[in-house]
Amino acid sequence: MSVTRRNLLISGAVFAAALAGASGAAMAADQELKIGVVGVLSGPAAQWGLALKGAVEFVAAEANRDGLIKIGGAPYRVSVVAIDSKYTAEGAAAAANTLAGQGVKFIIGAIGSPEMTGVKPIAKRNSMLVLGNSYAKDAIGSQWPLVFHVGPGPSGWADPIIKIAKQKFGMKSVMMVAPNDQGGTDIATVDADAYRKNGIPATEEYYQRGTTNFAPTVTRIMNAKPEAVDLASSPPGDVGIIVKQLRQAGFEGPIGRLGGPGYSEISRVAGGDAVLKDFYWYEPVVIDEKAQQIADDFKKLLGTERPENNLFFQWVSGARMVVKAIAQAGTISDTEKVAAALRTLPVTDPNLGSGHWIGKEFFGVNQELSFPFGVGMVTGGQLQPIVRVEAATGK
Amino acid sequence: MQGIVATSLIGISLGAQYALLALGFTLIFGILGVVNFAHGGFYVLGGYIAYSAISFLGMPYALAVITAALGTAALGYLFERFLLDRLIDDHLATLMLTLGLYMMISSGILITFGPQSPAFAFPLTGVLRAYGFYVPIENLVVLAVCVAGIVSIYALIYRTDFGRALRALADDRAVATAQGLRPKVLFPTAFALATGLAGLTGALVTPILSLAPHVGDPVLATSFLIVILGGLGSVGGATVAAFLVGMVEAFSAVYLGGSKGALALFVLVLIMLVVKPSGLFGQRARGA
Repeated sequence: MSVTRRNLLISGAVFAAALAGASGAAMAADQELKIGVVGVLSGPAAQWGLALKGAVEFVAAEANRDGLIKIGGAPYRVSVVAIDSKYTAEGAAAAANTLAGQGVKFIIGAIGSPEMTGVKPIAKRNSMLVLGNSYAKDAIGSQWPLVFHVGPGPSGWADPIIKIAKQKFGMKSVMMVAPNDQGGTDIATVDADAYRKNGIPATEEYYQRGTTNFAPTVTRIMNAKPEAVDLASSPPGDVGIIVKQLRQAGFEGPIGRLGGPGYSEISRVAGGDAVLKDFYWYEPVVIDEKAQQIADDFKKLLGTERPENNLFFQWVSGARMVVKAIAQAGTISDTEKVAAALRTLPVTDPNLGSGHWIGKEFFGVNQELSFPFGVGMVTGGQLQPIVRVEAATGK
Repeated sequence: MQGIVATSLIGISLGAQYALLALGFTLIFGILGVVNFAHGGFYVLGGYIAYSAISFLGMPYALAVITAALGTAALGYLFERFLLDRLIDDHLATLMLTLGLYMMISSGILITFGPQSPAFAFPLTGVLRAYGFYVPIENLVVLAVCVAGIVSIYALIYRTDFGRALRALADDRAVATAQGLRPKVLFPTAFALATGLAGLTGALVTPILSLAPHVGDPVLATSFLIVILGGLGSVGGATVAAFLVGMVEAFSAVYLGGSKGALALFVLVLIMLVVKPSGLFGQRARGA
């Protein structure tokens, strides 16, 4: 076949059209909202980070399925960039820097206090909106106007849980036991104040993070003769060992953990509910049928089981609020506009119910999401149904 | 007085566990001149092998502990024989190799078993109580096995030809080799012995504390601290230092509190490094 000038022109036109089409497709693919995740994805606390990552990926898939993000009428695909913070301030700061370098303006996470300490200055410098966790006393504040809290810290939920525990167990003194870093002391001191406000004298005892054998700490606790012990934000593995060693030492009183979920692992390490005996803890979400629906949807959308840790549900509700705020603000770059939209959004989730923005009294800013939460309890060695508590208000 | 006795019991229990761990660590340094950063990894691996043997193969606990010790010893043997041995005189390379192995072990466990602690309980429960004291039965069993392990290691090192050969290699490899000793056979065996000890300790101790992929980190730190205190490469020094560390840890934590207790331990090591840099029983810095 000879190559004529006409064939050459037609081929050229087809090639140009193909190129244009490809370019258009590429442009369409570039309409993307990147949400960053800074969370611990390795090491002992990886379970928390995997719950966070899974939640944000689920919310992104929901948004893409529903075509939620439209900027100027153009649909935007939501994608997730997750980076391991290694549960350290420097790891989280490096992750936030990497995200800033990729043009990411929204960060969901981090989880722990050291990580949030690393993320906040980077986020402020790059005008990034952050929805983090951390139970630190300075987790959010007026100096960080673009930083929001995915759920209340102990200032929000310790008081109602202590009231329930006091009514149930009637303890007259408590000893707080926690790791001796910010992740331990910030929670234990707030919990201790809450006990004192409820007429229960509280003392504080701190141990070196990384301790594996708590026999000396347990001896110290036994010498102090408290009626109850509260392990605050001690990691679940530590809590399991301390509970087991306390019971071996003959401690009969109730043991609380006003610091987060983790009952299953605690019970496993301690040796079962019979060893826990009388035990109570903060559960961020009550997993009822509606909440369970999130897990079912997760499997449908992402083809796998949802992450095991129950913090997953809390992160889903938080990430949904951020995505809603972006959709309402109609921008993926002006984070101040998105933050303004987020502050005015009613706190409601189709699966977890309704709540409030709180935090003014404790942090000075009303940027803390407060949804209904739960109180877990084991009494007499028997696991009890989670008690639902309405969302904390006015703190 | 009661408090002192109770705290001493805790110290002895901690010391015996630390001694079994530190013996393996110091053996590898003393004989091979290698600082084994994978030591904590073998401890965790021992725990997970025992857990798997019980949970998935239905083995009795005692057999699972033996399986864990043999499994970690076998892995240690292969690692030394086929990887470490090639670079045995390059300290930086061996450091990186053992560190890399530790990361592989802990990541592999994390991927296989997940980050959470599994249900891995000691088969004997119960507490002996008398005169105001209490001792968990599981602690007594572990203490007895640890003491038996320490005695066996001493007998092996100081009462057998194998032990004499290892000590000869540690003393002067060139002369020992000229006398007919074979490092290619003895080094992997010594390494296997040490990693087997770490695995044995992991299988014994993790069910009474907790088993998780990260529990090897503090083990490595404690082993390091003990062998520095006792004198790098000194078997006797490691044993004495292990019990000393156990006692200091117990008394300082009970009477000063957790934070100050940890500080006391490091102050002790710091003083030792200033006063006697070679450690309690260290003779001299080991040659390359």
